[in-house]
Order: sequence, then structure tokens, then C-alpha cells
Amino acid sequence: MDATTAMYVAQGIHGLAYGMILFLVASGLTLIFGMMGILNIAHTAFFMLSAYFCYQVVVWTGSFWLALLVAPIATALVGVLVERFLLRKIHALGLLYELTLTVGVMFVIMEAVKVFWGTENLPLLVPPLLQGLVDIGGMEYPLYRLFIIGLSFLILGFLAFILYKTRLGMIVRAAVADPDMVNALGINVPFLFMFVFGVGTWLAGVAGVAIAPILTVFPGLADQMGMDAFIVVIVGGFGSLGGAFMVAVISGLLSSYGVQFVSQLAPVLMFMFMAVVLAIKPTGFFGERE
Amino acid sequence: MMNRTIKRIAWGVMLLALVLYPWLFGIYYTNVFVTFAIFALYAVSYNLLLGFTGLFSFGHAMFFGAGAYATALALTHIEGCPLLVALLFGFFGSVVLALLLSPIVARLAHSAFAMLHLAFGMLMYTLALKLRGITGGEDGIGGFPIPPFHIPGVVSVDMTDPLNFYYFAIAVLGGSLWLAWYLIKTPFGQIIVSVRDNDKRVDYMGFKVPQTKAVIYALSCGFAGIAGSVYAMFQDLISAAALGIGHSFAPIVMTMVGGVASFAGPIWGAAIFAMIEELTSRYTERVLLVEGLVLIIVVMFFPGGFMYLVGLIKGKWLGFIRGKGFGVITGQWFTKRSGKKATEDDS
Repeated sequence: MDATTAMYVAQGIHGLAYGMILFLVASGLTLIFGMMGILNIAHTAFFMLSAYFCYQVVVWTGSFWLALLVAPIATALVGVLVERFLLRKIHALGLLYELTLTVGVMFVIMEAVKVFWGTENLPLLVPPLLQGLVDIGGMEYPLYRLFIIGLSFLILGFLAFILYKTRLGMIVRAAVADPDMVNALGINVPFLFMFVFGVGTWLAGVAGVAIAPILTVFPGLADQMGMDAFIVVIVGGFGSLGGAFMVAVISGLLSSYGVQFVSQLAPVLMFMFMAVVLAIKPTGFFGERE
Repeated sequence: MMNRTIKRIAWGVMLLALVLYPWLFGIYYTNVFVTFAIFALYAVSYNLLLGFTGLFSFGHAMFFGAGAYATALALTHIEGCPLLVALLFGFFGSVVLALLLSPIVARLAHSAFAMLHLAFGMLMYTLALKLRGITGGEDGIGGFPIPPFHIPGVVSVDMTDPLNFYYFAIAVLGGSLWLAWYLIKTPFGQIIVSVRDNDKRVDYMGFKVPQTKAVIYALSCGFAGIAGSVYAMFQDLISAAALGIGHSFAPIVMTMVGGVASFAGPIWGAAIFAMIEELTSRYTERVLLVEGLVLIIVVMFFPGGFMYLVGLIKGKWLGFIRGKGFGVITGQWFTKRSGKKATEDDS
């Protein structure tokens, strides 16, 4: 492989890795929206919280793998508590109130993180097993980013399996389509909501841990990732996992190739893409509801 | 009328208090008050959309920012630009932006409206960051001259004096608030409320819904532009942070805490947040933490906001809540799911 092709391939894998992380965050967001109709503004705050949990676990035990297991679950627990004791109580008041509440939750998490861990960048090392470069057809590429892609595909496959091949997935998909009917059929929908909210925050948590060694852990993490994740969900269509996946990959590639070819315009590209898509189809690519 | 006399006296006392305020509280609190007044107008302009038209936007900061940047650019580049002209630049800067967007957004409602504003708002923010030649990027535009308030042959008041600027700002912002209040009392104001409650019915009655939305949209954005314009002159600096997502959340949060769909609600909301900021910033840097907790508590326990609380107390003491049901106060025309409205059933 000559140098130019290698560069293109490297940029492509780069974009794919970022896109997959984006998809992990966005899938939780779109799942929660599709199911509960809640636009969870605090979602990226959970993503950041998980990165901090990961840092703390690594400080205590020194094991990244343990952090990868524990931190997302701890984040999901926080998410479940928020759903059970805050969101559920005001569900009857409607969209506007749920949204405002998640804004409040976001403020609290983002500030609480600063109270406990301070405002500086906390470095996190890539685990020894994943350090170093691999050789792809004569091109050196960091192993850790390939690991992220692999992990994301693993979770994506697992998620798709649960959603489309199991009874639980069937109930979840039915509840996305019509929660009232599912409730009438004797399924405990409030519990299902709590479960899905937990899974959604868990997905954000996994993404938070995965990205921590690359970007380091700092309070601005949520902002950096947050807008991109929202755009992915919006453009892909609310409640559509496939749409989120497609747009996440497009977004990742757009940002990595954009930096290379039109570096001046790169940060605006995604927003322009979004504005154009929404101006033509306000529900996004695969969205059915507004 | 006894009632009217009392009202007039109350307004007179309030006006007197506003005039005397700088002498009573000193220059520091005068500046705090100007900031509060700017955000009060900003929140009220937002509530014209959210509370009165039922349009939910995530990108109101771009109109605040458009007004601020238009004023700042006018003062920087136009030699000897008069004060009021700079203000008009701010107003029309926002209105023009709103009119450019309105063909797309006036057809939409609910989540789609909110999301599209999120997109455009972020686009504007990124543009303000990247177009360094025009906007100064992260540093923004600062240090432009603040011209005196000048009427040839009559008067010329130096606006760099904070006291004079206080009176100017209060006059402009108060006047705008009065205009906004007057607007919702006109027949047009009644139409926009009907659009919120049942747009199909308004359509059947022969009113043009998208056009109505576009007009109130442009006006609301114009008021936000005035707030931004005064903000730019007050700070003598405008940076991209004024366009950020946090700045778009501010009026939502203020409106919700103050009371949505009531005119005075956002003003109270702005006052409450100004006080929280003033009090907590003495003890801690984590002002946002307190604000977030207040927001959660208000949404959980007083979903009507401050105005609902006032209504409750009034109802207990005076025996009436002025015919306003809980549903109206809490803005229940937003349903949980989909774009359907709660009041869709034609009655």
C-alpha cells in the first residue's frame, strides 16, 4: 500500500471508530426516545459520568477491564434511579416537563462531577493488552481504535439479537410502537420503561469508558460528544436504530475526511448536512413521528 | 374605579423605584439589575413562542446572538454610528434572520421545530467560532465605542457612564416588555393563543396559520435581538458563548421556573435565577448545580412554576384563581408522545 492510500484507509478507520462511539451514545438516546417519548438531554452527561467512574475504578484497582464492566453498570444504576424517582412522577405532565427535568439532571451531573473530581484533565492509559500498533497491509494502525470498532459491533449485534430475536425484544418493539396497548395487554410498562432507560444509559456508559483513554477525562467531554450524538439521532430519525447507525457512520467519516480536505469547513459540515436533511424531511431519514 | 386607582398607584411606585434604584443600591447592583432586565426580555420573547404560540425552540440564542453581533459590527465598522441606529441594527438583524428561516420553520411544530432550531443554532455557533475575520472567533468583538445618546440640538448623554446606561437600558427593555405585553392583548395576540390551542380550528375559521406563526416568530426573535443588542452594548463585548447551547437553555429554564404561558412568569423566572446566581456565587463556583437542583424541585413539586404558586396563594386568600385552570398554567398542550396535541378534539 502506498502512502496516499494508507492515509485514506487510516482516515476511514478513524472515522469509523468515531462513528461507532457516536452510535453507542446515539443508540441509547434513540431507544429511550422511541420507547418513552423522552428527549433525554442529560444523556451525554451520563456518558461523561461513566468516563469519570471508569477513571475512579482504574485509580482504585488499576484494571481497565474491570472499569469497562463496572462503570457502565454504575452509570445505568444512576439512570434507573433518575427514571424511577424523577421522570416517572412527572410523566403525566408531558414532553415539556420531562425535557426540562432532564436539563436539570444534566446541570446537576455536570457540576457534581466538577465537585468530586475537579475541572482538570484526568489522563487514562490504554490497557497494556491494547497498546501499540497493528499492521494492516503495510500500514500501522493503533490497536485500541480497532478494539473500539470491534466492541461496538459486538454490542450492536447483541442489541439487535435481543431486539429482534427474543421475547423481551418483541415486547420492547411493541412498546415503542404503542405503549398504551402493551400496557393494556398486561405488560408492566413502567418497569419496561425503567429497564430501557437503564439499558440506554448503560450504552452511553460503555461509550464513555471506551473513549476515556483517547480523549482523557474532563468536564467538557459531554459537550464535545453531545451535539454530535443529538444530530445523529435527529438526522437518523427519532426512535430508529438503523437510521442512527447509518448517520453515525456517515458523521464519523464526514468529520475525519472533512478535516483532511476542507479543514476550514469541517466543524460546520455535519450541521449543514443536518439542516439540509431536516429542511427537506423534518422527521429525519427513518423517523415516522415528529 | 377603585381598582384602577390602586393599579395606577402601584405602577407609579414601581416607576419611582426603578428611577431611584441606582441611588439606593449603588453601581454594582445597578449592573446586576441591567443583566436581569436583559434576560427578562430575552425570556419573555421566548415565552411569546413557547407559552403563547406553543412553539418549542432549542435555538433562541441565535437570535439573541444575531442582535448582539449586528449591533457590535455596526458600532465597530460604521464611523459615528448613533446609539439608536445600532439598536435598530440589532432588532432588524434578528428579524431578517427569522424571516429567512420562517419559510422552513413556520410549517413545523413540536419536536421538529425544536430540533431544526437546535441544528440552526449550532450552525450559527460554529460559524461564529470559525469565521474569525468577521466575528473574532472565541475572543469575539470587543472594545467598540459606545456612542452617546444624541438628539441634535436637544440633548447628548454620555452612555459610557453606567448610571446613564442604566436609564437607557431600562427604558429600552421596559418599552419592549410593554410592547410585547400589548401585542398579546391585541386581536392578533388572541389568534396566536388559538393557534397554540387548536391550529386546525383557526385554519377552518379562515386565518392563515403558517403566516401567523411566521409573524409572531419574527417579532419574538426581534425582541430577543433587542435584548442581545443591549447586552452587547452593556458588556462592550460579544463572543460566541452568547450563541451557545447553554444560552439557548437559559430562557427555557427561566420560563419553566417562572411559569409558562403567563406574561409575568419569565420575568419572575429571570429574577429568581439572577438572585440564585448573586447569592450562590458568593459561596461557591458551582452555581449551575444549585440552578439544576432548583429546576428539578420546581418541575417535581411546583410544575406551574412561580406564577402557579402565586395563583395558589391568591386563590387561598382571595378565593379565586382568575379562571385559569391548572392545565393552562402548566402548558399541557404539549403531549407526551408524537406531534398530536392534547386539545385535538374539536369542542
